[in-house]
Amino acid sequence: MKAKPSRSLLAISTTALALPGIAIADAPPVNSSLSYQVSNYKEDNLTREESPFGDLGRYDIDVHQFQFISPIGRNFSLQVDANYEDLSGASPWFTTLSPSGSPIVNLSGASGIEDSRSELSVGTRYYLENGSIGGNIGYSEENDYRATYGGISAERHFNNDLTTVSISLSYSSDDIFPTDAEIFNRVISEDKSSTSAAINISQIINQVSTFQTAFSITEQSGFLTDPYKLIDTRPDNKTQIAWSNSYRRYIRGSNAAWHVNYRFYHDDFGVTSHTADMSWHQNFGSTIQVIPMLRYYNQSAADFFTNVDDFSRPATDFQSSDYRLSAFGAISAGLTIKTTVGDWDATVTGERYLANEKYSAFSVSQPSAALVRYFRVSLGLDFSF
Amino acid sequence: MGSHCEIQFFDDSRIYAKRLAKKLTDEASRLENKYSRFKSDSFLSQINAQAGAKNGIEIDQETKLLFDHALTCYEQSEGLFDITSGRLSRIWNFKGGQIPDQKLIASALNNTGFEKLSWHQSRLLMPEGMEIDFGGIVKEYAADSLARLARTSGCNSGLLNLGGDFSVIGPMPEQKSWPIGITQPDSTGSIMATVNLSNGGLASSGDYERFFFFEGERYSHILNPTTGWPSKGLRAVSVASHLCTVAGSMASIAMLKSESDGIQWLTDSGLPHVYMKQDGSIGGPS
Repeated sequence: MKAKPSRSLLAISTTALALPGIAIADAPPVNSSLSYQVSNYKEDNLTREESPFGDLGRYDIDVHQFQFISPIGRNFSLQVDANYEDLSGASPWFTTLSPSGSPIVNLSGASGIEDSRSELSVGTRYYLENGSIGGNIGYSEENDYRATYGGISAERHFNNDLTTVSISLSYSSDDIFPTDAEIFNRVISEDKSSTSAAINISQIINQVSTFQTAFSITEQSGFLTDPYKLIDTRPDNKTQIAWSNSYRRYIRGSNAAWHVNYRFYHDDFGVTSHTADMSWHQNFGSTIQVIPMLRYYNQSAADFFTNVDDFSRPATDFQSSDYRLSAFGAISAGLTIKTTVGDWDATVTGERYLANEKYSAFSVSQPSAALVRYFRVSLGLDFSF
Repeated sequence: MGSHCEIQFFDDSRIYAKRLAKKLTDEASRLENKYSRFKSDSFLSQINAQAGAKNGIEIDQETKLLFDHALTCYEQSEGLFDITSGRLSRIWNFKGGQIPDQKLIASALNNTGFEKLSWHQSRLLMPEGMEIDFGGIVKEYAADSLARLARTSGCNSGLLNLGGDFSVIGPMPEQKSWPIGITQPDSTGSIMATVNLSNGGLASSGDYERFFFFEGERYSHILNPTTGWPSKGLRAVSVASHLCTVAGSMASIAMLKSESDGIQWLTDSGLPHVYMKQDGSIGGPS
C-alpha cells in the first residue's frame, strides 16, 4: 500500500524544485500566443485662445494590434504582427501672431482629416545554443503614405547566460503622396529612407536586479518635411542617436519591482531630449499586477524652429512651426492593471500626458502654441496555447 | 564526476543528437568544475580554502540554493545529513583499512555542524577547519539539470546515469519505461532488484565499493556526523522519485539512520524504494 508522502519528503522536494537547473524555464518559445490590443489616443481640443478661428478638434486615433507568436519545429519561431489605425481630427496647418502678439494656431481644414493605416509584418528567429538570429519584413499603408521595411538582428548569451548582447540593423523605404496636392499646392510625390543600427547589452546583476543599456543610430534622408503645413522646410538629412538605460530591481519584502529608465536623444536638427520614468510593479498573489508609472520628458528646440511662421523668408530657408520641434517639457502618469486567468492575460492601461513649455527644465524663448495634451486608454488580451 | 557517467537518448536527427550530446556534456563539465572536491580550482575548493577567513566568500545563487537544499536535508534528518562534515571523510581512510585516532575524530567533529555556518547576505562565513562536501546532492542535481536541459532542447526520449544516479529525459521509444538494474553492494555485477522508470529519477546510496573490514567488523564510508563513526544502518538503499535530487537526499538520509529508523523513513516517504539490511536480506514495497 502506498503511504501518504511525509512532511520530510515535501520539505526536501520544495528546496530541490527551487534549484536553478530544475526550476528556471528556457527562452525558446514552447507555446503559441495570440494577442490583441485596442487603444484610443485622444488629444485634447485646442482652446479658443490657442486657435481663435475654425475647428478646435485635434487627433483622435483608434489602434487595433494583433500579434501571433509560435514555435516552428524545434529551432524556429514565427511572429506575425498586424495593426490597424483609424485616425480623425486635425493637425496644425500654420501659425500666425495674434493682435496681442502671442502665436496662434490654425488647424488644417474645418472638416479635419480622416485616414486609416494598415500594417503587416512577419518575422522569424532561429535559436542557436547560445543565442538567436532573426529577421523581419513589413509593409504599412495609408491614404498618403507607404512604408516598406525590414530588419535583421542577432543575440548572444555569455557568462553563463548572465549577459546578453544583441545587435540589429533595419531599413525602411517610405513614399509620401499628399492628398489634395494640387488644390493646396503641396508636393505630388516624395520619398525618404531610414537606416538604423543598434546594440543592446543586458546584464543580470544578481537574483533580484538587472541592468540594460542600448545605443542606436539612425540616418534619415529624403523628404523630411511635413507636406501638410502651409510653410515647412527642413533639411533632407537627419542623424539621430539614442542611448537608453533600464534598471529593474525586485523588492522581496513587498513582492514588487522597481523599473527605472532613462533615455538620452540627440539629432542634428538640434533637438536634444531626456526622458526619465519609473514604475512600480506590485504583485498581488500570482495573478494580479498593478503598475503605476510616472514619466518626465524634456527637449530642446530644433535650430530652425519658429513658433510663428515667417512667410517673408525664401521657401528654401529652413523653418518649421511643428510643435514636436519646439522646446518643451512633458509629464505623464499612467496606471496599468494586469491579470492572469488560466491561459489568458488581460491588461488595462490608462495614461494622461501633458506637454507644456513651463515644464521644461530650461527657459523657452519660443514656446509653441500647439503642444499636445492627451489621454490614452488601452485594453489587451493574450491567449497562450 | 569521479564515476562512470552515461547519456542515452533518441533523436531522429543525428546532427541534433550530436549537438545535444555536446550541450549535456558541457553542462556536466560545468557542474563538475564548479563543485568537485577533488579539483583544486573548483568553486567548492575555493569555498573550502577560505574557511576561517574573516570576510567569508561571495556565493552565487545556484550554490546558495544548493546550501538551502542541504539545510532542509540537515533539518529533516535531525542533523544526520550534514554537508559540513567533509573533514570527517578525509580522516577515515577506507583504502588503508585503519580506524583513525579518536582525537582526530573529535577534532573533525569539532569542525562539523551546519549551524556553525553564518551568512551575511550572499557572503558565507565558515569556521576554520570546516570542509563542505556536496556528496549526495550535486551529482543528483546534475542528473536532473541535464535531463531538463535535454527536454527543453526538444529531446523527449532518454536516460542519464551519473555514477548510479539516474534521471529520465523521457521514456524509451514506444513509451516504454527504462529498466534499471540495482546491483548488490557486496558482489560485483549481481542484480538485487530491477526498477522500471518512465519519468523522474532514481538514486542509490550504499557501501558499494568504499568500505573495509577491521577485526571482523565492516565499516562503511557512510559517516555519521554526530558520532564521527561509520553508520551501522542499512547497507544499501535505492529510491525513485519525481526528481533524482529528491531521491538522492531521501536515500542518503535513510542510510544514515539506524536500520529500523531507515526502513521507517523510507516507508513514511511513500516513494518506491529497495534496501538491503546488514544481514543481506532485501526489502521494500513490492
